[in-house]
Amino acid sequence: MRRVAISSWATSKFAKDSGMSLLELACEPCAEILKNGVSGKEIDAVLFSSCATDQYSSTIISEMLGMRPKVSHRIDNLCNSGTNAVTSAFAMIASGLCDSALIIGAEKADSPGNKLLWDITRGSFMFPVHWAAIFAKAHMRKHGTTEEQMARVSVKNHKNAARNPQALFKKEVTLNEVMNSKKIADPIKLLDCSAPCDGASAVLLVSEGKAKKLDNPVWIKGIGQQTNSASFANATGDLTTIEAAKRAARYAFEMSRTNPSHIDVAELHDAFTILEILAYEDLGFSKKGEGGRFVDQHEIAINPRGGIIGCGHPIGTTGVAQVAEVASQLAGKAGRRQVNGCKVGLVHNLAAAGSSATVIIMGA
Amino acid sequence: MQEFIEHLKKGEFRMPTCTSCGGKAWPPSHRCPYCLSKTSLKKIGTTGILLEFTSSHIKGKEGIFGLVEMSGIKLVGSFGTGHLKEGMKVRMKECGVGSDGTAFYYFMPTKA
Ligand SMILES: [Zn+2]
Repeated sequence: MRRVAISSWATSKFAKDSGMSLLELACEPCAEILKNGVSGKEIDAVLFSSCATDQYSSTIISEMLGMRPKVSHRIDNLCNSGTNAVTSAFAMIASGLCDSALIIGAEKADSPGNKLLWDITRGSFMFPVHWAAIFAKAHMRKHGTTEEQMARVSVKNHKNAARNPQALFKKEVTLNEVMNSKKIADPIKLLDCSAPCDGASAVLLVSEGKAKKLDNPVWIKGIGQQTNSASFANATGDLTTIEAAKRAARYAFEMSRTNPSHIDVAELHDAFTILEILAYEDLGFSKKGEGGRFVDQHEIAINPRGGIIGCGHPIGTTGVAQVAEVASQLAGKAGRRQVNGCKVGLVHNLAAAGSSATVIIMGA
Repeated sequence: MQEFIEHLKKGEFRMPTCTSCGGKAWPPSHRCPYCLSKTSLKKIGTTGILLEFTSSHIKGKEGIFGLVEMSGIKLVGSFGTGHLKEGMKVRMKECGVGSDGTAFYYFMPTKA
């Protein structure tokens, strides 16, 4: 298997309304990459991550960008789409089918992916916040996690987002503001939730041969992905664990020959604050049941771009933007929010009630 | 699975059940997820255990809801006000398709 590196990345400014169509939005981060020394002629594959159902979208974007790649298609797996696209691109390059793959994530705020209508097991409580509230309730009841600990995740991630010019939210929030924000589904409040928005991000993956020309390549060391179900009903046995994420993490750590203690920087799926707490435990950063207390640790830089809560959640874009952030951190190019001395990074992403998950480990 | 929805619209909860191994296809499907044989709709017991519950405050979606385990499947049920507790026995009193097109499964605690 050939090694795979991340050579370039770009993320557009996330906004409630960008004033652009989905396909225009998708071109923005690509233009940034292609105008900075990467030739479109060198790109063998274009993988478009989006939950929008626009016909032939990946191929239209390729044409708009003046590219004639070998492979071009769209990947949809709800919130996990972007990281799923990275998995596919990795496999194409590792196998020798392609030498480079441009992964583009783009989504509009009104994406059809914001709600999984198929899942009849959710009854009339179809919104993601409803299953998230069940997870939160269970974690509070079984492990004593508090609403204040969840609120602290929001405070931290908003604080990080305030240093990220691409983030939707630029304002820090106080613990009191989170605690007193409008109740959505008990115990989840408005400021415990992420918001849908317009946003696009792109990363370019290249083969080992092409990576030799780079100064500081960032390598993909391991990928783990697990699909347990599509429905909430069958996603988890114990409501305090995302089983798919636990499994994905095990695969990724095994493949990269690392363990949780090696991780310096991580982007975790925090569409709701409780999910970041579950991730601490599922990834092995904290012991089972102690995720609530782990919020205050300083060993690992978690969600330095502001996470999903601070950046906004254009769902097909999220996984790509997470990978772009960790790559820029490991390359030492994260500007004002640079985490000093980070060598190993991790991306954790979920879809639909944690029914599927991806974990990616990257290193310099 | 259209047949499941048709019954649900009439207020009947009918489980797609495997004609070969007896497995339940939940969420509803025409084939059994265990042995891939065809399923047909069967009546099942609608008494279960309330695993976890909470309340929604979203406009148009207000109310108490909880995850119920019933006859080996799980589903999110709606509840009226009342004294609920995790682990308590509950029974499906009503089900159907609401005016917004989403399914509903209305549960109540069983009497002690
Ligand atoms: Zn069967």
